Amino acid sequence: MPLLAALYERFDRERPFDGLGIAACLHITAETAMLVRLLRAGGAAVSLAASNPLSTQDDIAAALAHRYGIAVFARAGIDRRGYYRHIEMALNEAPHGPDLVIDDGGDLVNTLHTRAAALLPNVKGGCESTTTGVIRLRRMAAEGALAFPVIAANDTATKRMVDNTCGTGQSAIDGILRATNTLLAGKTVVVAGFGASGRGVAERARGFGAQVIVTEVDPVRALDASLRGFRVLPMAQAAPLGEVFVTATGSVDVINAEHLSVMRDGAILANAGHFDVEIDVRALAGLAKAVHVDVRPHVDAYDLGDGRTLLLLAEGRVVNLVAAEGHPPEVMDLAFGIEALALAWLAGAVLGNTGDKLPAGVHEVPADIDAEAASLVLATTGTSIDTLTPVQLSYRESWRIGS
Amino acid sequence: MSVDQLPYQVADLSLAAFGRKEIQLAEHEMPGLMAVRAEYAPSQPLRGARITGSLHMTVQTAVLIETLVAIGAQVRWASCNIFSTQDHAAAAVAVGPDGTPDDPKGIPVFAWKGETLEEYWHCTELALTWPDGDGPNMILDDGGDATLFVHKGAEYEKAGGVPSPAAEDPEEWVIILDRLRNSLADHPGKWTTAAHSIKGVTEETTTGVHRLYEMARAGSLLFPAINVNDSVTKSKFDNKYGCRHSLIDGIKRGTDVLIGGKVAVVCGYGDVGKGCAESLRGQGARVIVTEIDPICALQAAMDGYQVATLEDVLETADIFVTATGNRDVITAEHMSRMKHQAIVGNIGHFDNEIDMAGLAKWPGVRHLNIKPQVDEWTFPGEEGRAGQGIIVLSEGRLLNLGNATGHPSFVMSNSFTNQVIAQVELFTKNDEYKLGVHTLPKHLDEKVARLHLDALGVRLSQLTKEQADYIGVPVDGPYKPEHYRY
Repeated sequence: MPLLAALYERFDRERPFDGLGIAACLHITAETAMLVRLLRAGGAAVSLAASNPLSTQDDIAAALAHRYGIAVFARAGIDRRGYYRHIEMALNEAPHGPDLVIDDGGDLVNTLHTRAAALLPNVKGGCESTTTGVIRLRRMAAEGALAFPVIAANDTATKRMVDNTCGTGQSAIDGILRATNTLLAGKTVVVAGFGASGRGVAERARGFGAQVIVTEVDPVRALDASLRGFRVLPMAQAAPLGEVFVTATGSVDVINAEHLSVMRDGAILANAGHFDVEIDVRALAGLAKAVHVDVRPHVDAYDLGDGRTLLLLAEGRVVNLVAAEGHPPEVMDLAFGIEALALAWLAGAVLGNTGDKLPAGVHEVPADIDAEAASLVLATTGTSIDTLTPVQLSYRESWRIGS
Repeated sequence: MSVDQLPYQVADLSLAAFGRKEIQLAEHEMPGLMAVRAEYAPSQPLRGARITGSLHMTVQTAVLIETLVAIGAQVRWASCNIFSTQDHAAAAVAVGPDGTPDDPKGIPVFAWKGETLEEYWHCTELALTWPDGDGPNMILDDGGDATLFVHKGAEYEKAGGVPSPAAEDPEEWVIILDRLRNSLADHPGKWTTAAHSIKGVTEETTTGVHRLYEMARAGSLLFPAINVNDSVTKSKFDNKYGCRHSLIDGIKRGTDVLIGGKVAVVCGYGDVGKGCAESLRGQGARVIVTEIDPICALQAAMDGYQVATLEDVLETADIFVTATGNRDVITAEHMSRMKHQAIVGNIGHFDNEIDMAGLAKWPGVRHLNIKPQVDEWTFPGEEGRAGQGIIVLSEGRLLNLGNATGHPSFVMSNSFTNQVIAQVELFTKNDEYKLGVHTLPKHLDEKVARLHLDALGVRLSQLTKEQADYIGVPVDGPYKPEHYRY
C-alpha cells in the first residue's frame, strides 16, 4: 500500500491528529489495519469496531490489539446484538467519546445519534467510506438530524473509479468464482444497478465471456449501459434468463419473491451492495422447501421443491468481502489514502489551524485532496504526466479566445 | 466502351495523377510488399516471367503489380469483377511512375469500373494475350477466371471445337463460349500452347481455390497451383481483420447510424463473423449471433454473445449482417417481419445470402433509392397505408466493398506479399511443385508476418537453441505444425 506508506512518513512528521480520539467502524482487514496504524502515527488514539458481522478477519483484529495497542471490538460471525454492542464500545473508548469518527455504511454514526447520543457534543466531524453510508447521511442531514460535519470520502471521482468500478468489479467476481467455481464464459449474468460498482461488475463479467444483462431504475444509467452494448431489461424479464445474479444497487428488495419464483434451476444469487437487503432472503427462505447450508463454503442451496435449486452466496451479504478478500490492497490504498487526507484536513479545521470550521452536514472531499491522492498514487507507480504550460493555463482560463 | 487493340484500356488516363498519389499512400501501408520489392530487386527472380493477372484493379493491386515489375516480371492485367476497378488506380498503372497521360510507360491493363460481361471476358482474353500472340507463362488469379479461360480453351482445342450452349446455361457462360469459339477460329492451338508454357497459377481466393481442387480431383488441372488463400497471413487478415475494419466502415458510410446501444445480429460466426461481431461490440452494440455449426455457436456463447435463431430476434434487432457463405440466410419473409428502419447487409462473398429477388417480388413492396448502395424497401401496411421500411445496403452484395472501400492496404499487403512470394516460388523452383494444388510452406507464411512486424512497432522474442530443442522446432521456424489452428 504505497500511498499509505508515503502518508505514514508525512503524518509521523506532522502529527495532524495530535491529542485527538478517533472511533472507526470499518471492515477489519489487513488494509484497514494499515489505515489505523497511519492514524495512530499521526497522533490519534484509535478505537475500532467492525462494520459487518461476517467480514472480520480475526487474525488481523488480534494483531491490531496485541501488536499495535489499538482498541479493537470485532469478531467474525457475531450476531446482530453483539455487532452493535461492539460499535458502542468503540465509541465509549474515550471517556467523553471520540473527537472524530470514520464510518463505513453509517452504522456508527447512526448509533452515535441514537443509543450513544450523550457522546455527540464531543464529536467534531467524521468521514464516511461508502455510497450506502453517504445516502443515509444525506437523509439524516435533510431531516436536520446530523449533528456534525461528515466528509463523503467515498464520493470522489478517483475513489469511484478505482474503488467501486475497479475494486468491487474485480472482487465481486472473485467472490462468486471462489464460492462456486462456476465458468462465467457463455453464462447469462444479470447485474442489478449500473452505478460505479455495477458497471465494474458488468464489464468484468463481459471480459470473462459472459452475456451480461443490466437492470436499472435510472434512465441515464440505463442509457449508458445500453450504449456500452449491454442488454437492459426490467428484473422481472431478466429473472428467468439469468444464471448468475449480482446486485449492486444500494436499494432494497431488488430481487424479490416474484423474481425468485421464475428463476432457472441452479441460478446463483450474489450481492455486491453494502447491505444484505438487496436480495430478499426471507422471501427466498419462504419459497424453499428445504435449505442446505454451506454446500460449499458461503453457498446455501435453496431447494424450491419443484426440481429447482437456487444458490445464495454469503447469505446475501456483500459477496466480495465474505467469499473473497474484499478489495485488493491497491484499491484500499487509494480509498484510505483519500480518507486519511480528508480526515487530516478535517482535523486541521477542527483544531482551528486551517480554514473555517465546517457546519454540520455532508461535505464533498475538496477537489485538490482528490487530485493530491491521484498524484501520489501515480508517483508510487512511476507514472509521469504532463503539466499545463503557462500559455495553456491562460488559454484555459480565458473566455476571450475563440475560433 | 469498346475494347480495341490499344496496349491498355482504362476509363480515363487523366486520373493517373490522383491514382499515383493514392498508390504512394498505400505503399506506406503495405510494408510487406515494399520489403519483398527491396529484397528481390537486386536478384530479379521474376526476370523472364510473363504474368497475367486477373484481380480487382484497385490502388492496392497497383502496388502489387509494380512490385512484380520491380523484381523482373512482365505483367498484363485485367480486373476479376466488372464493378471493382478503381479507375484512377488503373490509369496510374497504365501511365506508370515514369510516364505521363500523353506518353504512358506503365503496364498493359484492361479494366474499368462498370464493364459489361462481354467486355469483361474480352479484357481477360487481352490480358492473357501477349503482343507476339503467345500466352503468359504465369497466372496470378482471383476467383479463377483467367485459369478457367486457358483450361477451357485447351479443352475445346483438344475436343476439336467449342460446344453450343445449352438453353439453361447462364448468360455469362454463353459469352465465354462465343469468345473461345472466335479465338479457336483465329488462333488454333493457342491455348494448348499457352497451357504448356504456363509454369503455374497462384490463386487468391476461396472460390478460385475451390475450382482448382475440383480440377485437380478430376485430373483436368494443366499446371501446378499455389493456394494463397489458405496462408494464415492471408485468410485471417482478409476474413477477420479486414472485415472487422470494413463492415463498420460500410454501415457508417451507408447510414451514419449510431452503433452504440443497437442490437446487431451477425449470421455466421466463422472468421468473418468473428471479426464483424467484435467490431460491432467494440462500438457498443449488443451483438446476437446465429449459427448452424455447434462448434462455432459454442464459441460465440463462450465469447459472451447471445446465440439465437434469426426468427427469435427478427422483430427486435436493429442491424442484420450475413457472413455465412450460404444462401437464403435472410429471406423476404424474414425482412417483412423486421422493425422499421432495420438495416440489412451482407459481407459474405456472394449476393445470395439475402434474398433480394424475393424481396423485389413481395406483394405491394415499394423500393426507394436513398443514395448509391443504400435502398429503402417499404412493406405494405394496414388498409393500404405504408408499413415498415427496411434499409438494404449494397443491394445485398458485399457491403464492405459496396458501401466502403473493402480491405485496407495493410490487410492487402499481407495477402499480396503471399502472392509475390508464391509467384517467385513457382517461377524459380518449378521442379519442386508437382502438378496439383499446394499451399505455401509455413516458413514463407511466417516470413510474410515477419515483414509486417516492424511497421507496427512489434518486438519479437527469440527462442534460444535450448528452448527450440525443448519444443522440437528450429530456432528460426517454422514454429507450428501444419494442422495448428491460429
